[in-house]
Amino acid sequence: MSSMVSAVNPTVKAIAILIPGVLLGLTFDIYTPLVYLLFVFVVTLWLSDIPFKRWITFFAPFVLFIASFSWARLLYTSDTFQGGSVLFSFWTFEVTTGGVAVAISLALRSLCFIALSLLFILTTDSTKFMLSLMQQLKLSPKITYGVLAGYRFLPTFKHELDVLRQAHRIRGVSRAKGIRGRIQQFKRYSIPLLANAIRKAERVANAMESKGFTGERDRTHYHMMTVTKRDWIFLGMMVGALLLTFATSYYFGYLNIFGHQFG
Amino acid sequence: MSHKPVLTAEHYSFSYETLDQPTLDDLTFSLYDNEATLLIGPSGSGKSSLSLCLNGLYPDAVEGVASGEIFYRGHLIKDFAKGALNQQIGIVFQDPESQFCMITVEDELAFTLENCQVPRDEIEHRINQILNHIGMIDYKQQAIHTLSGGQKQKIALASVLLLEPDVLILDEPTANLDPMSRLEFIQLIEQLRMTMALTILIIEHQADDWLKLIDRALVLNQDGQLIEDGPVDTIFQTKQTVLMEHGIFIPEQYRRHNHPRKPTIDAVHRKPCLAMKNVSFSRNHSPILQHINMTFHQGEMIAIVGENGAGKSTLLQLIARLLQPNDGAITFLEKSLNDWKEAALRQHMGFVFQNPEHQFLTDTTYDEVAFSMTLNGYDYDTINRRTTQLLSDFQLLQEKWQNPFALSGGQKRRLSVATMLDETPDLLLFDEPTFGQDAQTTAELMHLMTNIQKQGTTIVFVTHDMDLVDQYCESVYVLHDQKVQYYNDPKTLWQQDTLLNQARLRKPSRLEEEKVGVVHGVSR
Amino acid sequence: MTKQWKLKEIVLMSILGVAFAVIYLLAFGLGQGLVGLLTPFGIGPLGYEFIYGIWFIVSIIAAYIIRKPGAAFTSELIAGTVEVLIGSPAGPQLIMSAAVQGLGAETAFALTKWQDYRTRILVLAGVMTAIFSFAWHFYSAGFYAYEYWLVAIMLVTRIISSILITGLLGKWLSDQLAKTGVLRGYALGKEHRQKGEHHHVS
Repeated sequence: MSSMVSAVNPTVKAIAILIPGVLLGLTFDIYTPLVYLLFVFVVTLWLSDIPFKRWITFFAPFVLFIASFSWARLLYTSDTFQGGSVLFSFWTFEVTTGGVAVAISLALRSLCFIALSLLFILTTDSTKFMLSLMQQLKLSPKITYGVLAGYRFLPTFKHELDVLRQAHRIRGVSRAKGIRGRIQQFKRYSIPLLANAIRKAERVANAMESKGFTGERDRTHYHMMTVTKRDWIFLGMMVGALLLTFATSYYFGYLNIFGHQFG
Repeated sequence: MSHKPVLTAEHYSFSYETLDQPTLDDLTFSLYDNEATLLIGPSGSGKSSLSLCLNGLYPDAVEGVASGEIFYRGHLIKDFAKGALNQQIGIVFQDPESQFCMITVEDELAFTLENCQVPRDEIEHRINQILNHIGMIDYKQQAIHTLSGGQKQKIALASVLLLEPDVLILDEPTANLDPMSRLEFIQLIEQLRMTMALTILIIEHQADDWLKLIDRALVLNQDGQLIEDGPVDTIFQTKQTVLMEHGIFIPEQYRRHNHPRKPTIDAVHRKPCLAMKNVSFSRNHSPILQHINMTFHQGEMIAIVGENGAGKSTLLQLIARLLQPNDGAITFLEKSLNDWKEAALRQHMGFVFQNPEHQFLTDTTYDEVAFSMTLNGYDYDTINRRTTQLLSDFQLLQEKWQNPFALSGGQKRRLSVATMLDETPDLLLFDEPTFGQDAQTTAELMHLMTNIQKQGTTIVFVTHDMDLVDQYCESVYVLHDQKVQYYNDPKTLWQQDTLLNQARLRKPSRLEEEKVGVVHGVSR
Repeated sequence: MTKQWKLKEIVLMSILGVAFAVIYLLAFGLGQGLVGLLTPFGIGPLGYEFIYGIWFIVSIIAAYIIRKPGAAFTSELIAGTVEVLIGSPAGPQLIMSAAVQGLGAETAFALTKWQDYRTRILVLAGVMTAIFSFAWHFYSAGFYAYEYWLVAIMLVTRIISSILITGLLGKWLSDQLAKTGVLRGYALGKEHRQKGEHHHVS
């Protein structure tokens, strides 16, 4: 059971994660995203095989990132949300309880996105994801394999960047100064990288077509991606939990959608 | 034995743009059943374009134009459905990095079989079968990008063989491999020929190792015209002058000339240029180089050899202060390397990278050469005079205003050397300068390097080409197991059979007949 | 749509997507730095807006090079997806953002029936992308909760950034690339060749 999330069909999983991701954008209260975040956390811990240590090394930096971002947000809350008493004043800003609440809500919402994202990334093989898009969503094989062919080059970019840095140092290029210098610098790195990438794109495409690839749908599938009952259960669970959260939030009178307090 | 034509070209021309300047010009020839044909010609003669024309991808894939016809077993190749001809004519390409679209070996091989619509339950069996055949079954689950160049090319070959092709085109498949991997790849092809009926077209600059296989040769010139077509022996024996005029590499066994002798330089009283004492370097706690001691003298030409991953490039990076050793001392021109100011160091020491493009910074060939001089604050006239002189020395004056990236392979290579010579450096480092280059470019480059050496510059280069070591170098260092295993004159190195085998090195071709350092069995 | 595309064009879009995904990810650090720098001046949230154009650049480059329907949308979508796969802090809704942005650029090219790739159209594509993406962020990132004057300044900054970075820098970079000759087999490379060698520098 602990590897359930890994076994879920990648396309279904993506949908199961996108729907809550989009719907969470509606809420501006604290309760709703907090409860859903806890839910995603429980799913990650109990139903996936992501080791907690690995998960937290990914998640923790984002918490800092979001925290620093929310601080800035706190200062610019619009009047709709400026309810409550003034907590403290700072230069020309007034921080109210309403402002703090909405800042926390938005931060929690972002954390939800990240937790959902990690649940997907850490349990999904990128090749299988693409193959599933082709088999379930009828994405054209030409696009599927074209994208996979490009994705393969990801590890080579970093290596090439290192070599470029060394080669430029040999030529005596000092660190760029000013905007002009930075644009030049940007060009000196991007042109060789992109030029090489474009040549490779052409060669890979030739090699693929030389192996009889036509881009048509008439091909067999070594990895058969299927959708089973388990996948529907997962989808129902992820979306159902969100709806349930919305409902209880409404019931207790927390729910806030675009500044409208419900219940 | 039948002698039926499999592929036939009739007055075939091809161009990327218009037929006024064709890449391939009016070719008429045939490839015959079970024959292996060698296709040779200088860089830019259109050999690779021809292979893609023969399997029907060109001219469509590049929106080029073609005239004349190509027939496969009597049928016009234009009439084949998309993908059908490709399954009959398989190609292994030169660049091991850009032939795959999947992450793992298994998935890549499955990709080919899916293209051929092999039923799902047969695919795994076919994959295992071919991997056993090429001796790489242990690598089935491995990510392709973690394999060595030689292994990648074997996987490329395997995926093409899964097509069960009638014709196999090998487009310089070993140009980017080290000498031992090259030999292993060629042996694999030899084995295949014994068990499979295959018509083979081999495109190679250095045909030496392939000769046992080859029946016939086709020769293209710079303009993409077919100038010779006949038995390989006849061509190499009777047409040597013509071939050499076109910059084509003559295999050792046919060569009549003596080797150019290395310049004799007064070996006494030469001062040390650079010295390394007990230098060690490790990356992520694993040692790459240990206790390295080396001394390069002024005006010397030195080679550093060893198998891939032996730390040769790392060594050059340490010498150029692009990396810092964990231990030990490096002295350059009697001063500690770390005491040099960055600008002064770059003026006295040059480094030519494996891929010339990585060193290009500007939009024109002229600016590229003038760049360092401008940086060093020379006046306009001096810059112009010196730049023009260098461009003419390196035969790049015509290309003065061209974009460096748009130059030919040989021109790019020359330009990357020229950019290092704004002032005569004391030490010039080269990282595999002749890798993947044709005979002409190799010869030109070695000539340039010898000229620079005569002016007193010390030259150190990393290479896999033992012929270069044999012909040009006064001393050679062999790296193996993170240490210097040998340092001396190359001549004595060729007698150390055990060391050569350990370090996966081969003898220069003039000595190959005495003893071929063949490792039996195909797998590594 | 896919019938019109050559395989090499799709692989090119993908490789550009991968290359720019790396650049996009690096831009996050830069944006965060700007936020920190601007916060004492009371305009912290503007930090990202100054460089927002970077995140749209691939769609303009791909469309300008390939010049076929769908290039702008697809390349941006790929870049966004890859960015998520290599660990972007924005999470999976980044794929949605990428789709919306790509749609913005694609709309501009659709208005000219994918025939016109002059500078003004590339700039327009940048502006459309900025507007589309802003509308989406207004919803998804809760800009709604900001004060309106700030939202207005953010939008204007994002549009200016898109004009300069997406439109103009994107075009300039593609043209530089065409000069290297590697685009020989694509629409932009062909256009450059037809123009001939007018770029003699003294």
